[in-house]
Amino acid sequence: MSVEAREARQPWILLSPALTAVGLLLFVPLMFIVVYSFWLRSAAGADQVGFFLDNWQEALSDAFYRDILLNTLKIAGITTIVCALMGYPSAYFIARSKGNKPVLLLLLMLPFWISYIIRTMSWINILGVSGALNSLLMTIGIINEPIQMLYNETTVILGLVHFLLPFMILNVFVSLDGIDTNLESAANSLGATKWQSFLQVTLPLSLPGLAAGGLLCFVLGAGTYITPMVLGGPRDAMFANLVYEAIITQLNWPLGSALSLMLLVVLGALVMLYNRYLGMAQLMKGLG
Amino acid sequence: MEGTGKLGWSLIRLWALLVYGFMFLPVAVVVLLSFNASQFGSFPMTGFSFRWFVELANNDAILRAFRTSVTLGLMTAVISTTLGVLASLALVRYKVPGTNMISTFLIAPILVPEVVLAVALLLFLNFLGINKSFTLLLFGHVIFTLPFVILVVQARLVAIKRDVEEAAMSLGASPVQTFFQITLPLMLPAVLAGGLFAFTISFDDITGTLFWKPGGVETVPTQIFAMLRNSISPEINALGTVMILLTVGLPLLGAAIARQLAQKSGP
Amino acid sequence: MKKMDNTTRYERLRERYRNGDLDRRSFLGLIGAAGLAYGVQTPFAKYAMAQDVQQVRFDGWGGVVSEAFREHAFDPYTAETGIEVVDGTFSGGDEYLAQVRASQPGEFNIAHLSGVFDYARYHNFDLTTALNLDNIPNVELVIARLMEPYRAITPDALSAVPYDYGTTGLAYNRKYISDEEMREKGASILIDEAYKDKIGGWSDWRTRIWYGALQTGQDPNNIEDMEEVWDAIRQHRDLALKYWGSGAELMSLLAEEEIYVTEGWSGRIAALQEEGHDIGYYDPPNSFGWQECLFVIKGSPVEACEELLNFMLAPETSIAVAEGQNYPPALDGTKVDLGDKIPTLPAYDPSGTLESLTFADPEYWNGNEAEWSKTFGRVQRGY
Repeated sequence: MSVEAREARQPWILLSPALTAVGLLLFVPLMFIVVYSFWLRSAAGADQVGFFLDNWQEALSDAFYRDILLNTLKIAGITTIVCALMGYPSAYFIARSKGNKPVLLLLLMLPFWISYIIRTMSWINILGVSGALNSLLMTIGIINEPIQMLYNETTVILGLVHFLLPFMILNVFVSLDGIDTNLESAANSLGATKWQSFLQVTLPLSLPGLAAGGLLCFVLGAGTYITPMVLGGPRDAMFANLVYEAIITQLNWPLGSALSLMLLVVLGALVMLYNRYLGMAQLMKGLG
Repeated sequence: MEGTGKLGWSLIRLWALLVYGFMFLPVAVVVLLSFNASQFGSFPMTGFSFRWFVELANNDAILRAFRTSVTLGLMTAVISTTLGVLASLALVRYKVPGTNMISTFLIAPILVPEVVLAVALLLFLNFLGINKSFTLLLFGHVIFTLPFVILVVQARLVAIKRDVEEAAMSLGASPVQTFFQITLPLMLPAVLAGGLFAFTISFDDITGTLFWKPGGVETVPTQIFAMLRNSISPEINALGTVMILLTVGLPLLGAAIARQLAQKSGP
Repeated sequence: MKKMDNTTRYERLRERYRNGDLDRRSFLGLIGAAGLAYGVQTPFAKYAMAQDVQQVRFDGWGGVVSEAFREHAFDPYTAETGIEVVDGTFSGGDEYLAQVRASQPGEFNIAHLSGVFDYARYHNFDLTTALNLDNIPNVELVIARLMEPYRAITPDALSAVPYDYGTTGLAYNRKYISDEEMREKGASILIDEAYKDKIGGWSDWRTRIWYGALQTGQDPNNIEDMEEVWDAIRQHRDLALKYWGSGAELMSLLAEEEIYVTEGWSGRIAALQEEGHDIGYYDPPNSFGWQECLFVIKGSPVEACEELLNFMLAPETSIAVAEGQNYPPALDGTKVDLGDKIPTLPAYDPSGTLESLTFADPEYWNGNEAEWSKTFGRVQRGY
């Protein structure tokens, strides 16, 4: 066998376990969902088999779904930006600190050891009218009456940021940690200020990590339904809540299938963009 | 970090401190409330008690669920990190036609709402006539932790220069040797981070687990979720406290022992 | 293909007999032949069953309920029959039905479900079995009225036995709302401007519509002006701080004074009162009564399930479960001594007739489910 042929085959050998797993356990099952999205729910009993466009027509033309989808993207976007702003400096701190990095990282994952639902509900103990914050403010005497802080869009975003921030920090850390610090020193010795060398050397090199973290935050944020259920008011809902309601509460699997494929396509397009961008980052590095 | 950077560095440190504080706020509340005498978490607290720890120690169901969760999480982490590292290597180190498509494909498990993924997989297995089992649950977890591993490992690999590997190879190292002696150590932080992700996500997952678990198998989140109807008891807070003591305590203890040993063997 | 055990064989014969495919004589003849084919079966019936059926799966609410079942029903049952009981937990009936729909026959056996709604829904999805109540002697102790709605859905045979009941009435913080005010305002207190942002409610569409009907003075089982009900729901939505989704949330919202008034599940409010919180509970006229059942899903080993149901219905099991979850058992207090605690539980009916409770008419509600659950999803979000 020629060297080229072996070279060409190698990546596929490396990829095959992951591809097989995702293909078999995700894509083949997803075909069922695609098929299902063309069926019809009957008022009671089994779904009607066939090829109907009703679900798609409803999912695509109804302003209700469009509005909630846009709102979901907005919330996920805000969450991602907040995560990036909070996360990047922290990741930089961990990567450049002389302390014990593994311990710092492990500490970051600690909140996850407490189950998601408990963690989310513990915000009620912090921000509630008889929660820690109100009780503190009243003891100090800043307020006389407890403030109502819970159950609005802000608390939903807060809950999401708390859930997603570690993903951002870990991703940024991993790429920052891979950057040779000599590059910064070199830039400094060539007369660049710290800030300049950060902007021109470190930041661009850490962009893949920032992008990966941002993508994770956005996608996970857009797909969540428990946080709005626990921390949101009656109106606060995200698109995944609609999917959940269609499939679980209303037992309307055909419509639920169409809705979830819609979300999949929107998020999938985003990942395609990301991949393109990551490709560009690689290109830039190649030139630099 | 000296000279002009000093102020900047202090600011960064302060910022990081605040972020850690934010991350730990719920943890602190959970730990505090696990010692609270009353069932609900109103402040100021009413009394101090070990009652919930005693009840936790007597609660077989939660302890069993805890063991299941840890086993499942560790197995998921190992499998999914292995698959993820192999795939990332292929994607970053080789020129594969259609890299973009393949990456998107591999990240897809987190793009589909989990409810849908759960129901779809069930329908498929039902179609094949396969019964639910622990193995299936494990595979389900591997599928949706894989994207995390791939994303983090890929981002790191991109930053590792090809030159180092090429230098090793030109010095006569085989590709396998190069991988284990050069590439793997360089990407170790990412591999560990990926594994940590996988374990954590698996440990914390509700929706998928709820649908895929076979009879008689409960993980901590599914156990808690079912308990929600009849009000969760602060035993769960006690379990969280124990978990945190373990994860913070063990590494610190390990480090302390290592230091002791180093001192003894020193000059 | 699963091996056909004698229970399935018998079931099929019986089904053909019911459908009129077999006359009585050949039915009995075939039963006899089946018996012969299994050798002299009767003395070894238990043994044979243990061989065919190795385990039965039960799904329920976990926690105290499952502990009580394990101690009083599952372990004695296993000791007697050799059949293991595997128990699973679910977090809600809707999500459980989704799992059952996507499963193979026989995978799920017995479930602790919402009585009438789920019973009818499972029937619509063709998931009912036919229980032989003669094999469940403890059914004699059950309040007769609780079985009527099931008989209306499956007149030939039941697929479930009633297990417990309760109400979704009004829960209020007595520090802020007096008993008199509560009685005077009734269900309309949930749309009272005075308590804006101190009102809660269950996110369940049925409950929202039921209370919408009460607030607009309509019969929940025969709503005439649906638009008016939706308006009441919108009004409640705008005044409410939070829709809760679980008993844990309901209890902590009330206990931490995040809200002063909401509808609530009787058993959870009783648990709060037990904890010493000053929370009142009031069932307005036509308050939402409900019951739960132990449902046997199609494809299960029926005889084994019947025997297990008998263990679960036994007074000591029923009482232990009821004391754990604070919902009265389905057992008739005039036939069984229910102990000290149960008669004090809210919604408990000592007369054994349950005439004071209003239950939902499953046919009416399930008939409107598709439309109402969907519309509620929109109304909830401000449409």
